[in-house]
Amino acid sequence: MSNFPDWLDPTPYIARVEAAGRRDVLAALAAEQPSITEFAALLSSAAADELEAMAQRARHLTRGHFGNTIQLYAPLYLSNYCGGGCTYCGFSSDRKQPRHKLTEEQLQTEMSALRQMHIEEILLLTGERTQEADFDYLHHCVKAAAEHFPKVTVETFGMTEEEYRALNDAGCTGITLYQETYDPALYEECHRWGEKRDFAYRIAAPDRAFRAGLRTVGIGALLGLGDPVAESISLYQHAMHLMKTHWQGGISISFPRLRPEAGGFMPPHPVDEKKLAQIIFAFRICFPDVPLVLSTRESAAFRDGMAGIGINKMSVASRTTVGGYDNGCAEDEGQFEIDDGRDVPTFCAMLRAQQLEPVFKNWDAVFR
Amino acid sequence: MSDRLKLGDLEFSSRLLVGTGKFSDVETMIGAVKASGAQIVTVALRRFNTNEAEDDLFGPLSQLEGVTLMPNTSGARTAQEAVRAAMLARELSGSPLVKVEIHPNPHHLMPDPIETYEAAKTLAAEGFVVMPYMPADPVLAKRLEDVGCASVMPLGSAIGSGHGLSTRELVGLIIRDSSIPVIIDAGLRAPSEATAAMEMGCDAVLVNSAIANAGDPAAMGRAFAEAVATGRAARQAGLMARLDHAEASSPLTAFLSNPE
Repeated sequence: MSNFPDWLDPTPYIARVEAAGRRDVLAALAAEQPSITEFAALLSSAAADELEAMAQRARHLTRGHFGNTIQLYAPLYLSNYCGGGCTYCGFSSDRKQPRHKLTEEQLQTEMSALRQMHIEEILLLTGERTQEADFDYLHHCVKAAAEHFPKVTVETFGMTEEEYRALNDAGCTGITLYQETYDPALYEECHRWGEKRDFAYRIAAPDRAFRAGLRTVGIGALLGLGDPVAESISLYQHAMHLMKTHWQGGISISFPRLRPEAGGFMPPHPVDEKKLAQIIFAFRICFPDVPLVLSTRESAAFRDGMAGIGINKMSVASRTTVGGYDNGCAEDEGQFEIDDGRDVPTFCAMLRAQQLEPVFKNWDAVFR
Repeated sequence: MSDRLKLGDLEFSSRLLVGTGKFSDVETMIGAVKASGAQIVTVALRRFNTNEAEDDLFGPLSQLEGVTLMPNTSGARTAQEAVRAAMLARELSGSPLVKVEIHPNPHHLMPDPIETYEAAKTLAAEGFVVMPYMPADPVLAKRLEDVGCASVMPLGSAIGSGHGLSTRELVGLIIRDSSIPVIIDAGLRAPSEATAAMEMGCDAVLVNSAIANAGDPAAMGRAFAEAVATGRAARQAGLMARLDHAEASSPLTAFLSNPE
């Protein structure tokens, strides 16, 4: 496929995953500077038998770089209007559900509810670009949020470099933008219409964001959509590409796992918790200094187990409905099902019981 | 006779400085700081939280007697950002000390020599007691001294790595030529490494991860305090010369005493 960059192609490494034996896994665990060869070994079924050793190594590396802390953030859904046709998403424009966007007043009350929960880092979300929730609306919301939160990031439609620059100037620190799947054929099948259909434009969005001066970009693949081994290898390559190209850019990697959702979408390549843990450990071992993020899509038990042993950043007390914190739209369907619904005090008490400090503020508006 | 660490007009009896960002909770951090006997404690401006939050590090540290806070500018990627952060931190903390920490790459956190130099120059002119975190570069160390820094803080190895004093050779050159205190910052894992750094002539060391990630942080804080004191005492006592070769029984230069 012509718009698929060579550096993203997982094919040369898939055979290595399949061929890896226990000795390759042990060598990968002992490697001083693991490369994609070691990463491939850590994704193998031989590595699945060494999950405890991987967890031990991941924990050691996570604590070494990030200390005994977990960085917390919360999402704020601004709008569920959507111009996209993603087959797997509850916001897709062909889904019948009430559409809202936050009014100015609702935006303020939502933010104030989050402030009362001690949230200091906020992730603003919308669907794909629409007339109702366009760039100007998002820009306005970023500006408003920057008055209350030291760190504001967005997870929304892919933008031009100029738009990213304007967001940066409005007080935005970074973006989260998942490629969803790195398999171009599957990508085309899942993204039925709209701007998002353009694989190449989306894959280059993090580059545009960094060039525009934004500091952080969160990347990820929707686990469950494509073959998890191939997706993980491409995600590794995407991360390496960004680190090599933008030396001042901070990347983070998320592990959103597709769960059954409102429209009845069933993931074609379901990833169980063991496999998810293995993928996260493999990333931690190969990227010891990159933030790895886990959201409330996952269960309380899984999140408790992963905190500090690979994962160092988590969302907390999330609502994925528009107006979910203080404007009672509980009857709506969220973008995805939340599994871990614990409130901030309960979640923080769990972290403390594990000798992990919940960190809300790890940034300052002075750096804008 | 007192052996004091002099930084600008300030004097300290402890030569162990500690960091604060990686502890499992504030109580453990305070316990470790106290046990370490550190009189200078660094804290990132971005961890100041004035909203009565439990994750605020500044409030609890500012209550400690006998401790001078050294706010750091971690998060800044340019000199301009570091200067703004230092100004704000001084306003909030009242401390004249600032640890200039500029690492534009948020992953490996290596200090930017160019931006660090620019920020140090500006902040020294603004009357700060400037303590720059820097690569172990002997030329940069003199440049920073020339613009009025109170100390230089070369890295032992990468932050959080625990790889010890891997820059030993370069640090040796920095110590030899420096007229201001040289403080090893980052990378130390074991108290013995702190002793070795002091024995070779460092004026102080700064430790964070090795204490925060220890099984018993307070006990490790104490161990580092003793190790630093031991290394300092050994340095002052005068270590015996190291002989690289045994003295040959048949000297190679014997022929030079033959009459011509």
